[in-house]
Amino acid sequence: MPLKVSHLPFVFLFSFFTLSCDSNLDIKPSQEIDEGTALDNDGNIKSVLIGAYANLRKSELWGGRLLLYSEMLGANNEIRWTGTFSQPREMLNKSILTNNTFVTDTWTVAYSTINITNNILDAISKVNEADQDKVKGEALFIRAIVYYELVKLFCQPYIAGNTEVNPGVPLILTPSRGGKNNGIVERYPIEEIYKQIIEDLSIAEQILPDTNGVYASSFAASAILSRVFLQMGDYASARDAANRSLNVALSIGKSLMTNYADAFNNESDSQEDIYTIQVNSQDSENAMQLFYSTPEYGGRDGDVSILNAHLELYETGDDRLLLFQERAGALRTNKWRDPNRNVKIIRLAELYLTRAEANFREGTSLGATPLEDLNRIRRRVSLPEKSSVNLENILMERKLELAHEGHILHDIKRTKGFVTDNNDPALKYTFDDPKLVFPIPEREILANSKLIQNPGY
Amino acid sequence: MKSNIFIVLALAYVLPTFSLAQNITIFGKVTSEEDGIGMPGVLIRAMETGISTATNELGEYRIILKKEANIAFSSMGFVPQKFLVENSMELNISLVPNLNSLDEIVVVGYGSTHKSSLTANISRIEGEDIANIPVPNFQETLQGRLPGVFVADASGKLGDGVKVRIRGTSSISAGNDPLYIIDGIPVTSSGSIDNSNPMAMLNMRDIASINVLKDAAAASIYGARGSNGVVVITTNKGFSGKTKFNVGIQRGYSSPTRKKKFLNASQYVALFREAGYNNDLAANIDPINRPEEYPDSQLQFVDNLLDQYAGHSDWRTGNVNTNWQDQAFNSDAGVTNVNFSASGGDDRTKFYFSSAYDKQEGILIRNSLERISGRLNLDHRLSDNFSFGANFSLSSTSTNTLPGDNLFNNPMQLVALAPISPLRDLDGNLYDRPTTIYYNNLIDSENSSWTTRSLRNLNNVYGEVKINKELSFRSEFGLDNITQNDDRYFGSLTATGQSSNGYGSSRWLKITNYTTNNYFTYKPIIQGNHDLEATLGMSYQNSETRFTSVDGREFPLDGLKTINSAAEIVDGTSTLTSSSFLSYFARVNYSLEDKYLLGISTRYDGSSRFGNSKKYGFFPAGSLGWVISEEPLLKDNAYLSFFKLRASYGLTGNALIGDFDHLGLYEPLPYNLSPGLSPTQIANPNLTWETTKQFDIGLEFGLFDDRISGEIDFYDKTTKDLLLLVPVPATTGFVSQRQNIGEMQNYGFEILLNSINYANKNLIWRSSFNFSRNINRVRSLSKDQTSIPPPYSSYLNGIFIDQPMAVFYGPKYAGVDPDNGDALYYANEDLSETTNDYNSAAKLFLGSPNPDFISGLTNEISYKNIDLLFLLQGVYGNKIYQAAGGYYSNNAYWFDNNTGDQMERWQNPGDITDVPQARIGQCNGCSASSRYISDGSYLRLKTISLAYNFPEKWNNKLKIQDAKIYIIAQNLLTFTKYDGWDPEVGTEALSNSFSNANLFQGVDLYSAPQAKTFSIGLDLGF
Repeated sequence: MPLKVSHLPFVFLFSFFTLSCDSNLDIKPSQEIDEGTALDNDGNIKSVLIGAYANLRKSELWGGRLLLYSEMLGANNEIRWTGTFSQPREMLNKSILTNNTFVTDTWTVAYSTINITNNILDAISKVNEADQDKVKGEALFIRAIVYYELVKLFCQPYIAGNTEVNPGVPLILTPSRGGKNNGIVERYPIEEIYKQIIEDLSIAEQILPDTNGVYASSFAASAILSRVFLQMGDYASARDAANRSLNVALSIGKSLMTNYADAFNNESDSQEDIYTIQVNSQDSENAMQLFYSTPEYGGRDGDVSILNAHLELYETGDDRLLLFQERAGALRTNKWRDPNRNVKIIRLAELYLTRAEANFREGTSLGATPLEDLNRIRRRVSLPEKSSVNLENILMERKLELAHEGHILHDIKRTKGFVTDNNDPALKYTFDDPKLVFPIPEREILANSKLIQNPGY
Repeated sequence: MKSNIFIVLALAYVLPTFSLAQNITIFGKVTSEEDGIGMPGVLIRAMETGISTATNELGEYRIILKKEANIAFSSMGFVPQKFLVENSMELNISLVPNLNSLDEIVVVGYGSTHKSSLTANISRIEGEDIANIPVPNFQETLQGRLPGVFVADASGKLGDGVKVRIRGTSSISAGNDPLYIIDGIPVTSSGSIDNSNPMAMLNMRDIASINVLKDAAAASIYGARGSNGVVVITTNKGFSGKTKFNVGIQRGYSSPTRKKKFLNASQYVALFREAGYNNDLAANIDPINRPEEYPDSQLQFVDNLLDQYAGHSDWRTGNVNTNWQDQAFNSDAGVTNVNFSASGGDDRTKFYFSSAYDKQEGILIRNSLERISGRLNLDHRLSDNFSFGANFSLSSTSTNTLPGDNLFNNPMQLVALAPISPLRDLDGNLYDRPTTIYYNNLIDSENSSWTTRSLRNLNNVYGEVKINKELSFRSEFGLDNITQNDDRYFGSLTATGQSSNGYGSSRWLKITNYTTNNYFTYKPIIQGNHDLEATLGMSYQNSETRFTSVDGREFPLDGLKTINSAAEIVDGTSTLTSSSFLSYFARVNYSLEDKYLLGISTRYDGSSRFGNSKKYGFFPAGSLGWVISEEPLLKDNAYLSFFKLRASYGLTGNALIGDFDHLGLYEPLPYNLSPGLSPTQIANPNLTWETTKQFDIGLEFGLFDDRISGEIDFYDKTTKDLLLLVPVPATTGFVSQRQNIGEMQNYGFEILLNSINYANKNLIWRSSFNFSRNINRVRSLSKDQTSIPPPYSSYLNGIFIDQPMAVFYGPKYAGVDPDNGDALYYANEDLSETTNDYNSAAKLFLGSPNPDFISGLTNEISYKNIDLLFLLQGVYGNKIYQAAGGYYSNNAYWFDNNTGDQMERWQNPGDITDVPQARIGQCNGCSASSRYISDGSYLRLKTISLAYNFPEKWNNKLKIQDAKIYIIAQNLLTFTKYDGWDPEVGTEALSNSFSNANLFQGVDLYSAPQAKTFSIGLDLGF
């Protein structure tokens, strides 16, 4: 008996010595796939494209924070930050720390999105030929808007001039996969960045279809292009791009919503939407709603409140005033009230206002006269139509129409205005004040020896 | 066989009956084995009853017992002897000189050995020393008891993690937790839901001993997982003889060790109105003296908010003064324990059976832990050549779980609410925002439930065969299965469920971890003075984690809490991850004349966690020992009874990283409900383990017949090829890549001293003292990299070459400008200039979160039937950063209630204070700086217990063998200068939610203080 039993361990032992070969150490992940697989066929590359949108929709980018940054830096004593988060408060107080996590995270998510689009563009030949234009156009669209958002926040305004010298951001057009770029890249001049953005968007506009569901379409590309030209002060090009976008959009049935309030808190895209970020209960992040809304609607504690100084800008009877409501102890805007609603990026109204302004500045009437476009906006909010128009009217209408939608800072900068300090109303920051520009994140300066920090940090 | 087990089990449930025996008289003479002369002063003690006597000058004794008993003969410097006596008899014995604690059996990897012949550094404590300590997991009981082992509970929250660091922190980005081995099997020690502590699922009373393997000679047999040290636990075994039953009950009350002082209602009102008024004055508005300027003034803004926060009450009358801190604590906190065990057997079969019920009501509201556990350990010797056995244990733990410290529904965050806010409105409902500044998480107490249920099944079986007299083979198979279910429901009134008519979540986790060890032990019979022992074997481990969760919202009513009732399913996932280790190991120990000792061990380890080109590693270690006291020169030395020198050097590894860190991966990331793919990490096919080279030199000694004994060790531990998350430019699309780069050093010394201070017939006083100094330095990072500065603006921990890991780095607070009340920071390194601009402050090193030294002192005093034990434990030289200081000690930056010390704020020119002027909405000194760093040193009366052993006549009356009634207190007294809650702190949520778990050390962010527990208990044996 003992003899027999004593054989048992040997059986055990030898089976394990033989079974336990290398294959037991070769375990593949179950939730993720290898980068080679992700980029080697049509289906997977299209999934990676969805992944690029998913990155663009993150709260650090168009999921809301990019809009919030503009509102905080451009608060102008019209809104107040009362939340506990110090990152937006630093922006409001124009004392941003170089390790502000919102700033850092936006930078990193931006370049991660750029890297995905570069990977797609690099592997474009593996996409079915019939779909190559669409996939390429969408990738270019996403890359261009991320660069555009970066150059607006991290660099001196284009309008301040010296664009061949003033540093932009690192311009990366190749994927990092397989060591193709190690990320150690200097800041290219602002001019170069804008050139690339315009080139990408122009190609995208040409090769993208006119309708593309909730994804990038040709008129979304030209709409963004009109923003870019407006920011550069190239009014003729801005006018043309806005007009092209309007023409396509109207031809597929886009129009202003009858009630101003109906243009917001939409579960799916409204008639007025040119481009939005899709939000739903499965994927519910909307940083604007989080900070602007109140607890009963799933917001934080009502971190942003609207000050009377802002309300005083409206004419009496303006329907847009109906969107302000006392909630959680202070005045709030209802534009971002409900949870799980899309993030509005471009509405048709913006294109009318851009066309009006550009036409006015150029003395032209492409598509419509500035007065016609302006009155379109005023009529909708029950304001009397104007009989004549000046630049100030158009800019004020734009400010109020697009208030709290992430435009204020960039409009102040491009029109060479100023931002009033919230704590000390006597203190004004001019459009090119370095305090209105984000610092390059400290972690990035340390990781990339070629980067130079912005003045004032 | 089978039927035997059942009989034993059945016996365990039947109360045995006893008959009264007649008095037994035992007498005789005790002599020394060495010279045969009678020994005076030898203590003879009946184990069960404590009845004792001592020998006279001639070594003679006589003891009368009421019934059969185990009696022990003990004398300093001699091996104690035990006898079971049943009848009156003459019992002459001779005692053998002993090496005291130096000759206990210690458990090493894949075997055990005598401490005296050990060439490695292993510390040990016995299970009985910790059995009755009222804490939820055994790790906390190690505090202060073992040199070189630093233990800190993250907070007083039940079920959360315990930091255990053996000889310092050796890794920056990989794990630093030791490897835990229970009965030979590596067990799951992390990865459970929300980082709940898997060790809290074990019954402490089953532990027979804990052995901590610290140096390379001890740990390298565990190869790629030995760098952080190895904690080897053995569970109780049965013994042959009459079955012994033990029953214990304990009941105790707990309260927080310390509270923090916050402002009361009138102080709060005064502070914030002053802050608003200060702003007005700065803008040349004076709403008090010029009432026409009150509208739109900051003072009005403050008054309006105070109106809002006061709810239905009027803050001007001062009627409401809510102490929100008190609301966070549970007034009925305490512990309850009932345990039962039976052990016994015959010379072939031995068993140990136990079952226990533990309930702890946490010191925080909504926090409790309940555990039911059972264990059966069986060993059977089939023949002289073959034996086998099995250990089965099952525990069911149910925890009422709390969220991370950084979340609004952490009860500790109630302290932020204004004391002018009443608890409830006039209808009796709890106030919420906007009346409370933040979410009033007392609503969670009434409208949410969060329970984590865990079932852990830890089993192992073994078979051991003696192939011949010299060679044996042992095979072990272990299965560690954790199943967890975490059900959360946040009702329609809670912050989480408010906007969605309730929010529910159900999570399931299953971690299956199996291991097999197979090894030969060869112990040849050699003529002469040689001793040789060799071990050769292999081990394979596979661990698999499956997780499934579903979240739903829109519930019809708060009574229906399962996801079934959710109208909308908003999130669901199911994941699987696994890893494996394949290892071969060998060890040879040789001793010559019991004087010259040599040990060599090695392990060849492969893991699935590493890149294809670097899957295997080799971890050798060698050690030497010299028992100098065996040399003729010292052999008969009257004072020095034992003296050993030992030295070791070897390699160990650390593989505590993600399962797939070496691959370049894309994960699914949907957009617009369409499936997408998004890259998560860059590939590194060369990724392999961290390697630690450790040198240890140790000295063990015994003086005066081992009345004083001790150990001193110096060690130097250098870890290279750190598994570092190296920051890469984000312009690559990634922020970091796991690389083997960088170096970290830990060096220091450990002292352990045991002494018997006094011993006579009635009184024995023993002390054990340990002291450990560990110096930790980061030696190198990636190429051209000198630091990883603090990554988040509100935290100060960073990594710098030649500084300790996680050193605090940032602006140094310079107090307050007496002229204007501005917060000042030092502007330069030599501290000669100051600035009120935070951004232009010089960034300086502000202290280390790692202690300079840790120490413990245990005293045990036995007088007749009374045993007194107390353990003092101290940590010295570490700093703690109160990350919430910027919220609660911010001189009215925002409306969070402030701490009491803010009453010392600057008010008038010339005021000398450290608290700046109050300015509402303006950060005057509230940013992260040394203002919120304080000394975390403390000395604690960790454990004190007083036990009374029943005298024999009581026992006889009660028909029991022995009984003990005791009181025990944990954390009774704490001496510290720390001005937060409790200096034993480490906000866990930070380690969970930020990528770098090792960085956020010594941070207190609304962390609960430790529990102070006072218990009374009774142990019965029959």
